[in-house]
Amino acid sequence: MFFHKKLSHTITLHPSFLGPRMREFVTKRLYKDVEGTCTGRYGYIVAVVAILDIQTGKIIPGQGSAEFVVKYSAILFKPFKNEVIDAVVEAVNPMGFFADAGPLRIFVAMKMLPTDMKLHMDSNPPSLRSDDQKIEKSTQVRIKLVGTRVDATNIYGIGTIKEDYLGVIE
Amino acid sequence: MMRMAKNRLERPVTEESLDAAQLELGVDFQDAECLLISEVKVLLEAQYDSKKEEKNLDEVYTKTLEYAQKFSRYTNRDTIKEVRALLKPTELEPFECAQLGNLCCNEYEEAKSLVPSIGSKISDEDLDSLLKQMDSLKKYQS
Repeated sequence: MFFHKKLSHTITLHPSFLGPRMREFVTKRLYKDVEGTCTGRYGYIVAVVAILDIQTGKIIPGQGSAEFVVKYSAILFKPFKNEVIDAVVEAVNPMGFFADAGPLRIFVAMKMLPTDMKLHMDSNPPSLRSDDQKIEKSTQVRIKLVGTRVDATNIYGIGTIKEDYLGVIE
Repeated sequence: MMRMAKNRLERPVTEESLDAAQLELGVDFQDAECLLISEVKVLLEAQYDSKKEEKNLDEVYTKTLEYAQKFSRYTNRDTIKEVRALLKPTELEPFECAQLGNLCCNEYEEAKSLVPSIGSKISDEDLDSLLKQMDSLKKYQS
C-alpha cells in the first residue's frame, strides 16, 4: 500500500555549508539521505513530496557542525500480510515465480499456485499453465501477500494466488 | 516462572502482528493517509523532470513510477477526485478505500474477498452500487 506520511529527519551540516545557500544544502541533503531508502518500519521512502519545516540549526558543541531537524512528507510503500496487490511477473522457475510490484519483489511458491497449474520449462519463455491461466514473464498477476521479509536494503514478499479472484489479470 | 526485571525494555511490536485482513497496520500507519496508485502516478510524474535534470533518478523511484503508470486505473485528476468523492461518505477506512480504488472489483463478493476487513461495514447493496459507480467513472473517463 502507498501512504502519504509526515516524517522527521535530522541532518548534520559541516560548517563549510553554513552560508547563504544553507537551506538549499539542507533540502538537497534530505533528498539524498532519505529518497530511495527502505526500512522495516516505514517500508520504501519513494519520494519526498514537501518540506514542512526546517527547525533553526543547532551548533554541536566542540564541532562547529550544525544539526537541523527537518519535517517533511513523503510517499511510502509498505506491504502488509494479507494485502492483495497487483504485480508483473519477472521470472518463472521450478520453485515457482517471481513478480515485481514497484520496488517490491514477491515470490509465489509452487504450492501457492492452483493445483491444476503445471510448469512448462521448455516453453519459450518458461511458463506455468492451467486450463484458464498462463503465467510467464510480463504477465500481470493479482497476488495476496502471506508474509514479508526485510533485509538491510529491501523488502521481499511471499505470496499466493491459490484463492478466489487472484491470479492472472486480463 | 521467570520474573521480569523491572527495568526490562518493553518488547517492540513485531512485524508478524501486522495484518491487513484485521486492518492492523501498526502504530505508524493506522491513521495514515493511503494513496491510490493513480495518485502516486500524478505525484511522481510531477517530479520526473526536475529529478531527471539533477540526475537524481534512483531505482526505487523509477520502478515505482513504471508500476504506477502500468496499474493506474484513472487517467486524469478529475476522475481521481470523483472516485475519492464516492468513497469519502462510506464508513470504510482509508486502507479499504484505497484498495477498492486500486483493485476495481466487479462485484461485492470479489471486493469482500480481496479486502476482508470490509466485513459488514457496508451493506452488500451499497458496496455493489459503489463498485458500479466507480466502474462507470472508469469507463467514461476521457
